[in-house]
Amino acid sequence: MNKPKKNKSFQVNVFQNRIVAYALAFATILAFITFVIVRQTGTFSLALYRPYVTLIRNGLVNTIVVSFVALVLSLIIGFIFYLMSISKIQYFRAFTEVFTEIIYGTPLLVLIVISAFVIGPAFNSLDRNTMGYIGLITYMTPYMKNVYKSAISSISDEQYLAMDLFGFTPYQRYRYIIIPQVIRVLMPPMMNNFSQIVKGSALLNVIAYGELFYSIRVAQSQNFAFIEGYMLVWVLYLVITIPLSQLTRYIERRWSL
Amino acid sequence: MKIELNKISHTYDVEVLHELELVLTEYNAVALIGMSGSGKSTLIRLMAGLEKPTSGTLKINDWDVTNDAEYKKHIGFVFQSHNLFPHLSLKRNITLVLEKTRNIPLDEAEQIAEANLRLLKLEDQMDKLPKNVSGGQAQRASIARALSVNPDVIFLDEPTSSLDPILTDEVLIAIEELRELGKDFVLVTHVMSFVRKFANYVVFMQEGNIVEQGTPKILDAPKTEQLKDFMSKVH
Repeated sequence: MNKPKKNKSFQVNVFQNRIVAYALAFATILAFITFVIVRQTGTFSLALYRPYVTLIRNGLVNTIVVSFVALVLSLIIGFIFYLMSISKIQYFRAFTEVFTEIIYGTPLLVLIVISAFVIGPAFNSLDRNTMGYIGLITYMTPYMKNVYKSAISSISDEQYLAMDLFGFTPYQRYRYIIIPQVIRVLMPPMMNNFSQIVKGSALLNVIAYGELFYSIRVAQSQNFAFIEGYMLVWVLYLVITIPLSQLTRYIERRWSL
Repeated sequence: MKIELNKISHTYDVEVLHELELVLTEYNAVALIGMSGSGKSTLIRLMAGLEKPTSGTLKINDWDVTNDAEYKKHIGFVFQSHNLFPHLSLKRNITLVLEKTRNIPLDEAEQIAEANLRLLKLEDQMDKLPKNVSGGQAQRASIARALSVNPDVIFLDEPTSSLDPILTDEVLIAIEELRELGKDFVLVTHVMSFVRKFANYVVFMQEGNIVEQGTPKILDAPKTEQLKDFMSKVH
């Protein structure tokens, strides 16, 4: 009577082992993908992509660069938007609210296309790529505004009372109390947004910007290795985004207040 | 300690304090008691200069609380929840204040911080962040922070309201030991046994008025119906 009970608990333990559980979860998904690939092609080989290594590497670099520039600019513009959203001037508050609603309701793809093909030409001088980035940056602005909003509101009124009581100067408040806390709270959602930018930048392929996804499409149009190409681009995005989200979680744990 | 309230009224959305008058000269541990919403927390905040009264004047130890910016440098305030700066260790919470607002060199500030944390029995917790210590320890650290600026008067606004009974005792015992420092105390609390032990003057408030006041004996022999009713509820 004792024995089967022991066996059962052994089985439960294997499934509850963290590493085993994660390995099984990964294997399940990998098995599904492998099944799909085998159904699609008998000869899965990345060899056909060897001539395109430079092209793909450039695409990868472009994706990272454009994402980084979009991150920095949307952080800056998002901060201006945050300031507008708490402004005493009602027009500014109304503007950020209306703008946010419109952006929330707009697919990124639509925003990029409209920026590049509608708004851009209306201002003659701007080229399509620049307008594409502007579309991406514009899309991220309200999200960044919210990151600031939640980070700054995380400092309680009581803390301001304490700063007041001890007589910290405005500079000291920002330097030693407010900014160090805001940065800690702001980092994880900001990095989530960065991940969103990296993924969103793939849509810039519709305006023929040479980012990662577009580079793969160019290669595909010449070597016809579609399955391999799509799998490769998928993995390459994950190579950027998964470490990013792991780092985000690590920072979240270490820095939480 | 001298306390002088002269027609103190305060309004948030509605008037919460109605022309309070109070003159005390010889007590060094004054307790404000009353139901939630009686205005006692508002009053202690006004007395500490955290907020300005809508009208009236108040003086504490001859300081003009509302108009003299220097006053706040001479008091300590302990909040309902510890209100330490969450990104700084217990010790840094104190040294930052001393270093930046009292112009005390860092090494000297550290000595003061350590001495006060030791006084509150936190010598093993000094380098931890507030989130990594218990609520009682954090509240004691905030008392140490209030003490470290060497205040004349220490205000305690329901210092145990966010703590469970065991931690409440831990903090109240620590506060009791501070009586020996010879400082003045103004305290808001719901723990009547502590008021009996600690305070030498009691002010009972209800709906923004001072209804009854006197030595802690009034708790056992209330004159007004309101205090009688209150005491029957808080035991």
